[in-house]
This record gives sequence, structure tokens and C-alpha cells, in this order.
Amino acid sequence: MTKEPVDVCIIGSGAGGAPMALELGRAGFKVVVLEKGPHYQPKDFIHDEILNSRRNFFMPLPWEEPHLVRQGATARYERTNSAWTANCVGGGTVHMSGYFYRLKPVDFRLRSTLGAVKGSTLADWPISYEELAPFYDMAEAELGVSGEVVAHPFAEPRKGPYPLPPLDVHPIARELDRVVGEMGWHSLPTARGIISRPYRGRAGCAYCSLCGSYGCEMGAKSGTNASLIPAALATGKVELRPRCMARSVEVDAQGRARSVVYLDADGEVQEQPAKVVVVSCTAVESARLLLNSVSNRFPRGLANGSGLVGRNLIFSSFGESRATFRVSKQKAARPWLTDPAPFVNRSVQDFYLLPDERFGFRKGGTLGFMWTHPNPIFASVGLAGSGKDGVFGKELKDRMRAYRDSRILQFEVYGEFLPTPDTYVTVEQSVKDKYGLPVAAITMERHPMDFAATRFLVERGEEILLRLDPDDLHRVGVAGETTILQHGTCRFGNDPTTSVLDRECRAHEVSNLYVVDGSFMPTAGSVPSTLTIVANSFRVAHGLVERMKRNELNRPAKG
Amino acid sequence: MDRRSFLQRLTFFGGGVVLLGSSACKCGESSEPSRTQAAAPTEPPHLSFTRAEYAVVAAACERILPRDEDPGAKDADVSVYIDRILQTPELTQMRTDFAQGLAALERRSQRMFQVGFAQATPAQQDELLTVFKDSPAGSGEAHFFELLTVLTLEGFLGDPSYGGNKAQVGWKLVGFDTVGTMASAPPEGHDGAKCLHTCGRHP
Repeated sequence: MTKEPVDVCIIGSGAGGAPMALELGRAGFKVVVLEKGPHYQPKDFIHDEILNSRRNFFMPLPWEEPHLVRQGATARYERTNSAWTANCVGGGTVHMSGYFYRLKPVDFRLRSTLGAVKGSTLADWPISYEELAPFYDMAEAELGVSGEVVAHPFAEPRKGPYPLPPLDVHPIARELDRVVGEMGWHSLPTARGIISRPYRGRAGCAYCSLCGSYGCEMGAKSGTNASLIPAALATGKVELRPRCMARSVEVDAQGRARSVVYLDADGEVQEQPAKVVVVSCTAVESARLLLNSVSNRFPRGLANGSGLVGRNLIFSSFGESRATFRVSKQKAARPWLTDPAPFVNRSVQDFYLLPDERFGFRKGGTLGFMWTHPNPIFASVGLAGSGKDGVFGKELKDRMRAYRDSRILQFEVYGEFLPTPDTYVTVEQSVKDKYGLPVAAITMERHPMDFAATRFLVERGEEILLRLDPDDLHRVGVAGETTILQHGTCRFGNDPTTSVLDRECRAHEVSNLYVVDGSFMPTAGSVPSTLTIVANSFRVAHGLVERMKRNELNRPAKG
Repeated sequence: MDRRSFLQRLTFFGGGVVLLGSSACKCGESSEPSRTQAAAPTEPPHLSFTRAEYAVVAAACERILPRDEDPGAKDADVSVYIDRILQTPELTQMRTDFAQGLAALERRSQRMFQVGFAQATPAQQDELLTVFKDSPAGSGEAHFFELLTVLTLEGFLGDPSYGGNKAQVGWKLVGFDTVGTMASAPPEGHDGAKCLHTCGRHP
């Protein structure tokens, strides 16, 4: 049935959707937020690994809602659950670790600063760091970010301190600071989307050890479920509808977005008319929704006359190594090793730009240091291995006992993931999800520069770990991708022939359609992008509120 | 460089093996009736297995995590966990795959040792499980071994409310009793299996 019309219908309640809901609600506009997943409350966030991490509490099951993935256009698709973020109110910000970095000014101008790259569809952003900076400030204040500003050669400019002081860290952070300093590099405190003290009615972090990949039962993690969504609902202008799966965005005779058709919690088809439609379901799922929104006016999918929706998909390049410290061997020299403090919160960005053009392009990335995740099933499945290398019986138990005697420090690489013509999202008509909708299909053909730079970063990270005298160093990988960080499928730009969205993240082809998740990003920076998505959404909301107040929805955006 | 091995990086810690096993991924396409519908009703007190199957499950789990100076799978009630978790409606296909694997294990034991798996010696059981483990990737044998290992580890190290990890023996073995549950244990009366279906449903 057709619902009462509203000013704005937002699809998705995560990093992109929530800031829009909050700002539009504050400005007095009537807003409906459709969220595919349930609305978990703090009491639902239980430290139960099976419930939380191994079933469909957050992620859909691959046989109910697969993402098809293939390596290159000639390979066979595999059904996976990769490239999903949590399906619940707050989206990926619920189970994030909350490593809240900003992009750096160079990230907005990669192509013009570092030059074009053969085999990549690299593009500058149509906005500058300076334009986004005030909204980074706003995002940090609204969400609650804990951190410490230190001067270093690679620091991005910022106006003031973080809203909250840094979280307490494990004593290993001091050792990292020392050895990184000795190497002539810089050990930087990592800002976190976790509040270190009570903030705006929320309790501070309790330093439990199950943070990343879990929801926070304290509400201390600054997911939009704990911060922006409650604030948006408090305006009285925003209605949140959980368990509502958007099926399509419908258009009127002029090709303007008219309504969102969705399946409600009971599986009934509903239609929500709105003056403005905001799509924010993650870069993969937003592309899927637009491509599934076929009409006479847009036979190739909504806002896709250019054929660019779903192109230029980018994730984050991933590498990892682990240093193991045997407690029984090291506790005399390092009595603090068994300190239960969960956070390390140290980053190295000395290689954010590479020293030369040895790999053809000078973009590197960030090393983030942390303890390995303590989930015991996850850890033990890893210890068991698989296939001919797998073990069971006494050997497996010996490994589990050795694990008990270990503290394992790791770094993750957040490396540049160059857009290529052959990495993209389409929809696969022959494979439907449990709602009967064609699923997203991901094709990946990565740029070799990514792997070279990531390997370089892994090698630098290993040099750091070795300085700490671990009992073992293990390279996990140098050529992966972090698919929860996703971008690019509706890149923004000034030219409608090379971009889907304008600089205000409004579709070039549909003047009342916005996309505000990571889809807009033509490059993703070499850090986790969550804070950037939130900041950009505040920026877009700011512009949209102004435009709606002046009743200028139909006018094209400023160039 | 083995790209496949970390292609699907588990940024979301877990999930990988059980739910995403290669043959499990096909189950959206097959509408094979679930085993409990197809087979005769199971004997009490087991939910997913006959008495004979249950004995094989218990014996096989004990070879994955045998009791030595520390408790093993039987001590943790791992087979109770597996029996219960395979009742999850979304895991119907897995239950079918697992039962087929058990039958294959039993057949192979009869052929190789002329006794059922549960009656074979531990050395024979290990020999047979190694054959399954080392079978080609994608084979039914390899998939069953993967299911067996992962379900055993889930039953050994999961929240005790699912029926395994009795007296937290699994957590004690890996040290999670001190690290992981500090100030963060599930609330009194938590029922993980029930929560799988009721969490997030608020009036």
C-alpha cells in the first residue's frame, strides 16, 4: 500500500544514512529511514561468538542473500557473504572497530598530484580537503571520537583537539613508540570511534576485549545506532522502519524519483512517496538497488544513462603480519605482557606516500597495530588449518595450548585500491535473493600496483615487529582486500559523462536522488573510510537542507 | 602467493568455514528435503542423529580433540552441541551434508577395518579421518572433515548455553576464560540458540 508522502526517504541507517536523517530532522523536514535489518538494542549485544560472529546476526547467509564474486570477467562466480556490512540499524558502524582516520589533502587530488596510472580509472575528487574539514570536525563531535593530536610530517591539518581524550592503551604501545622512533619513523596514536569518557548521555568504554566485530552493549562505540540515530529520532521528525528491504526507487514521468517500493517486516509490499530519495546501502548494495530500479525512462537502471553505476568499485588493499610473544618465555622481561588492556592504537603513516616511483605510482598506505581478535573459535579454526596442511588431535591441542601461552600483536595494512575498468558491480538476473531480487555480482581485476605497494608496507611493518623481539613472526598475506570498506560505484565528479553523482552527491541524471554511502568516492584514501563517509554525509545534508529551505530542489547543483 | 586463502578476509571474525563451505553454498539452488523429513524419525534423546550416528559423531569429535592431560571433546559435550545446532532451520543443508559424511565414514570404516567407526581403534579412526582430511578440495570427504572440525571447535569453544563447552573446559584450554570473558560474560540465563531467532525483535 502507499504510505503518507514525506519530504525525504532515506534507505540505510549506517555511516551515510544516519547523518542525513539527523540533519534533515533537525531542520524540521519529515523523514522516513528504511533499514533492511533489525533494530538491535544494547541488550542484544551479547559476547557470544556463535551468535554474533558465526551466524546471521549481522551478515546474511550466503545461500539466502549471496554476493557473487569472481576474479576477472572470464572466471566463474562464487556465492559468498563477502562485501556485506552488518544488516541492522547502524549498519557497518555497529560492528566496526572504529579506527577513525581522516583522509589527507593528497587523497582528494591523487591524479593531479601523483599523475595518471596506466590501467586505472583514477580521478580527482571534485571537492578539496578544506571543503570537507569542517564536516570532519562535525562528524567527530556528533559521533564521539577519542584521540590525541600529535604533530608529525604527514599530519592532515585540523582545527583543534579530538572531542574526547585518547583511550588507555596496553603497555606494548610504549614499546612500539620506542622502536618506531629508533627507526626514524613516527608512531601515531590512532583515533577511535569509541568514547573514552561519558559523552552526551552515553557511558564511556568499559575496556572489554570483544569490540571489533561485536556490537557494544555499553553504547560506548560510536556507531550511528548509539549516536546519530537516537539523536535523529529525538527530533520527532524522523521515523525509523527496521526490517524494511528496499526493492526499487520509482520515477515519475519527468524521470524524477517519486517513491521507494519496499518489503516490510511482514513481507508486504509498501510504497513510500518522497520529495527526495537518499540511497545509502553500501557501495555494492546501493549500486544493486539502482541497477534493479529499471523503468522506461531508465532501462539500464536508475541514474544509469551513462552506464557508470556499479563501475569503479574499490575496496581497501589488505595485508597483515603477526608477531607472537610467548608469555612463559617473556614474562620476566615484560611482566606487563599479560595486561588485559585491549587497545594498542598505534599507526604508522610514514609510507602514506612512497619514497619514489618504484611501483609506477607513489601511493602507499597506513599500518595499524592491534592485538589479534580474541574470538576463540575463529582463532582455533585458524590453528587447525585445512586440507593437507590441516591438523587434528594432539597436534591441534598442542597448538591451542601454545595459543593460550601467547600474546599476538598484528598490523593491518590499509592500502590504496586503485579503480580499474575491470572491477565493478552488476546485478545477476538469474540469481535471486530470499526477497526475489537479483543479487549483486562483483568482478575483480586488481591493479598490480596495489599488490606491490601493499607488499612494501607489509615488509616495513614486519621490520617494526621484529624490533620488538617476538618469538615468532608470521605473514598472513600481502594481496587481499578488505571488502567491508567499499566505495566508488557511483563516483562523484563535475562531468556527467565520467561520474554518476555531482559534487553534492546528487545524481547528474535525477535531480532529487542522492547517494551518500562510500559509493561517491572516486578514490578511497589509504585508511578506513567510515569517518569520511559520515563527514561527507553531513556535508551533503548541509547542502540539501539549504536547497530544500530555498525550495530549489530542481535546480542543478553548483559546478 | 595464495590469493584465494585470504581473498575473503574475515574482517568479520568467523563465519567462514561452516556457513560458507563450498558445497554449503550451493544449497540455495537445491531444494532437497531435509533429512528429518526424508528419514525415519530419530530415536530419542537425539535431535539430529540416530543412536548409531550419534556414537560415530562422538567418536569422531573425540579424535579431533582427544582427551590428554587436558579435557577433550567428550568432556565438553561437543556432540550434544552438534546434535542441537544442526536443528537450526537455516542449517538444513548442512545437516544433510553432515549425515551423508557420517554414512561415508561408516562405510569406509567397514570396508577398511571390518568394524564400524565407533568400534574402530583410535589409530584406525585417525587413519580414516586423515584420508578424509587429505581428500581433494571440494570433495564430499574434505567437506565433511571441514564441517566436523569446525563444528567440534564451535562445540568446544562456544557459549555453554548451546550445549557444549561444559564447565568452560574449552575456554580454559585456550585461555579465553581469563582474557575474553573479563567484565563481559553473557548475562545469566543467556540462551544462544534461542537468541539466534529472537534477538532484535522488540515490540
